[in-house]
Amino acid sequence: MMDIKGTAEQLVKRCLKKGADAAEVYIETGRDLSIDVRKGDIETVREAAAAGAGIRVFVKGRMAFASSNDLGEKALADAAGRAVEFARVTTADPNNVLPDDRGETAVAGLYDPSIARAPMEEKIELAKRLESLATKDPRITKSDGAAYRETEGEIVIANSNGLLKGYKSSGCGCGVSVVAEKGDQRSSGYDSCSRRFYGDLKPAEEIAGKAARRAYEALDPRPVKTQRAAVIFHADVANVLLGGVLGAIDGERVLQGASFLAGKMGQRIAVETITIVDDGTREKGLASAPFDGEGVPTAKRIIVDKGVLAAFLYNTAVAKRAGTRSTGNAARDGFTGLPGIGPHNFTMLAGAAKYEDVVAATRNGLLVKEVTGYGINPVNGNFSGGASGFWIENGRIAFPVRGLTIAGTADEIFNGIDLVADDLDPFDAMAAPTVRIKELQIGGE
Amino acid sequence: MTQNFFSVDDIPRRRFLELGIKGGIALAAAPSLMSCIKAGQAPPPPRFALEDLNKVIRRALAQGGEFGEIYIENRVSRSILMEEGKFKSAVFGISQGAGVRVISGDKTGYAYTDDLTLDAFLRAADVASYVARGAKAVAPVDIREEKRPSFITVKVPLQTVAEEKRLEIMKRAHDAALGYDPRVKMASIDYYDEVRGRTIANSEGLYLTDELPLLFFVVQVLAAGNGTSHMGRERLSRHAGLEMFDELKPEDAARASARESVAMLEAKDAPAGKMDVVMQNGWGGVLVHEAVGHPLEGDNIARETGVFVGKLGRQVPNPKFTMVDDGSLPGFRGTTDFDDEGTPMKRNVLIQDGTLVKYMTDVLSAKQIKMERTGNGRRESFRYMPIVRMTNTFIEKGTDKPADILASTPSGLYVQSLSGGSVNPTDGVFNFTCREAYLIENGRKTVPVKGATLIGSCLDVIQGVDAVGDDLDFGPGICGKGQAAEVSAGQPTVRIRGINVGGSRAR
Repeated sequence: MMDIKGTAEQLVKRCLKKGADAAEVYIETGRDLSIDVRKGDIETVREAAAAGAGIRVFVKGRMAFASSNDLGEKALADAAGRAVEFARVTTADPNNVLPDDRGETAVAGLYDPSIARAPMEEKIELAKRLESLATKDPRITKSDGAAYRETEGEIVIANSNGLLKGYKSSGCGCGVSVVAEKGDQRSSGYDSCSRRFYGDLKPAEEIAGKAARRAYEALDPRPVKTQRAAVIFHADVANVLLGGVLGAIDGERVLQGASFLAGKMGQRIAVETITIVDDGTREKGLASAPFDGEGVPTAKRIIVDKGVLAAFLYNTAVAKRAGTRSTGNAARDGFTGLPGIGPHNFTMLAGAAKYEDVVAATRNGLLVKEVTGYGINPVNGNFSGGASGFWIENGRIAFPVRGLTIAGTADEIFNGIDLVADDLDPFDAMAAPTVRIKELQIGGE
Repeated sequence: MTQNFFSVDDIPRRRFLELGIKGGIALAAAPSLMSCIKAGQAPPPPRFALEDLNKVIRRALAQGGEFGEIYIENRVSRSILMEEGKFKSAVFGISQGAGVRVISGDKTGYAYTDDLTLDAFLRAADVASYVARGAKAVAPVDIREEKRPSFITVKVPLQTVAEEKRLEIMKRAHDAALGYDPRVKMASIDYYDEVRGRTIANSEGLYLTDELPLLFFVVQVLAAGNGTSHMGRERLSRHAGLEMFDELKPEDAARASARESVAMLEAKDAPAGKMDVVMQNGWGGVLVHEAVGHPLEGDNIARETGVFVGKLGRQVPNPKFTMVDDGSLPGFRGTTDFDDEGTPMKRNVLIQDGTLVKYMTDVLSAKQIKMERTGNGRRESFRYMPIVRMTNTFIEKGTDKPADILASTPSGLYVQSLSGGSVNPTDGVFNFTCREAYLIENGRKTVPVKGATLIGSCLDVIQGVDAVGDDLDFGPGICGKGQAAEVSAGQPTVRIRGINVGGSRAR
């Protein structure tokens, strides 16, 4: 085994020797396994171990970055030289600083050694079982494949402020996709489950059953007229409402005025029943970590507090520019890029209503089970998307609908929510409970 | 996982924004080694003795199987960001590795390594051969070097360009954007270039190497006024050297982006419901890329799940509709000399005058559906096995005049540009987000409307296209199908009858 922490520390020193005033090294090592099955047999098995280093340097306030997926001494030294040389091209900025917080947040349940110990045959069997269970119902005519995925790895960060941290993490998941056909109609259904721990995966029956239901329940859709009506976002899809909020609370976008929430701090942006939390500390959370992408300890933070905007997200440099402290939200997209800003487990808290009661309380409206498109535009808050699901009449699900559109603004959506259900999925990295919006424009016939 | 949603984007999306839409394990768990993008002047790719590669291929097929392959890649990339008047970041990447693939019947085994040594290749071959255990073995043919014609010419190699040149191009775009209008508040210029070296060797005796340059230049402009904000964008991309900017001027891209951002400040709520849509020539071709192209990919056909299964030779009732995928258009973003399995690029007419004539294939799907290899086997990097992907996909030009198409449309929506969208290839339902759109009233473009969603099904589109202009043009983008691919999409100005538009007001 290679000493990753030692390599990272040495590399920081090498950057300084090559002329950097400050430096940070981020190293990832890990392995992936993916298995796809179709029609009862293996379709693909893909497996690999990989590693890489990302080197961020500062030369007289100018920042540059280089990455290499060769962790050999010579390759890393070359990359460090590249980074220092590349810093020549950027503009000096007094906000270009690295964190020095040596703390780490204790987060339980990030790594499960039993994932690697389970034999390959068992994982193949799991995927095969998912497929066979999901195609059991006679309304399901085809399988579109089942899959198993796992990944585990280690992240190490070292910087010239003396910070040196690392942790191991793991993840696994499985899913299945099926098709229901009836005459000329085809309808697909899919479900999956991702967890930190192998033993926490949902029973195959549950995943398969949901995938099959999604496919056949959507058969025989009926058209509806273009109208304004109540729109219920089911908990399976309600997280689309959070995407635009995330873009809009990015501290850098706020400073640039490229956010519909810029200037709204401390103001009411949603009804009182809405609270949104970013939590990097949740046990077994898929987006939990002891520290963020540049080594700042993670926290649990209220973003929207009973309808009032309470926090933006920052990494170290953007926080300095804004005159505040990093919120521990430096986000990395692997070792090949600079830390940007992103969430951990980002959740709209559950309400008190029962899902069934939300449906029962709706005289005429759309229950959305699938949304397509980009969600809320983080720049101006406009929202437009494709939707399918069910039409509700007199508190009951009347018939499936497909190919509708829904549109409005973030303001209309968050201030128009009049019911929040208690059905939040506690495992999802980005989740919201079922919510009902009083009225939204629906496009149909 | 396997959720079959194929998407296409006009610009790289930031990952945390994607979380909102996709979620899932690859994003949520542990290191994202699988999603490593690009990386960049590395030492020249090591050449391997042909006999060593023969050894790897033989090892890959040692347990059985009929096709063995090794793909070796090295990539050197540069990415520079200029925003708010500053050169904010400069990112340099070097990435190299190899993937070994074994096909046995309908099964594929794949393993990759970033260690470019014979030992590592042999280990990968062992792992990849797992799926072929006990299957009948085909004896590999010894590899022999081949030469292929190139569709990519380079005058100013990216490797030789001084950094100052790159900065100057970015600054020209930045200044042009800021100077366009006082309502322009910020410009964000993303410059990306890479050189990707490829070596492909397989059990059919093929051995090929080449080197592909790629440029991607994105100008995003933020304008504010009238109580709202809008971010416009324009992109330039080619497989070319820095001479690309002599023809495609950074200033023009910046002004186009600025023009959009300012124009859309006046946008009114879009209407909702079915209407006729006129799509301006260019990147709007992504709509058929998604709605018609993905369902014509051979892997979907082999799996018998797509909407076009069994429809070859079938007439779709619209003689005006001809659709082509052509990976040999010189220097285009979707062009390569040969695909990532070594099949030469060529023009593939998929739908001729309304008749479905061809599916796109890679090595595996061509075998499965017993069709020719069309040169559509592509991969994001050595970490991915090749799958069927589009290249440069477009609606062939027709004879209608763009001005007549608009004038003969009494009311509807004029879509000047689209962002991106996605399709569910099983039921063929697609969605797109308009970036810049206008109402059509009495045959004329009138007020701009807010980014509405367009949705429909692939057959709606093919049947609904009733006017096809003579002004074919293209735009560059990124296609996502579990892995990213550089593509371009194109079309002349077309009119599509009866598309569902997701506006926020009733008509």
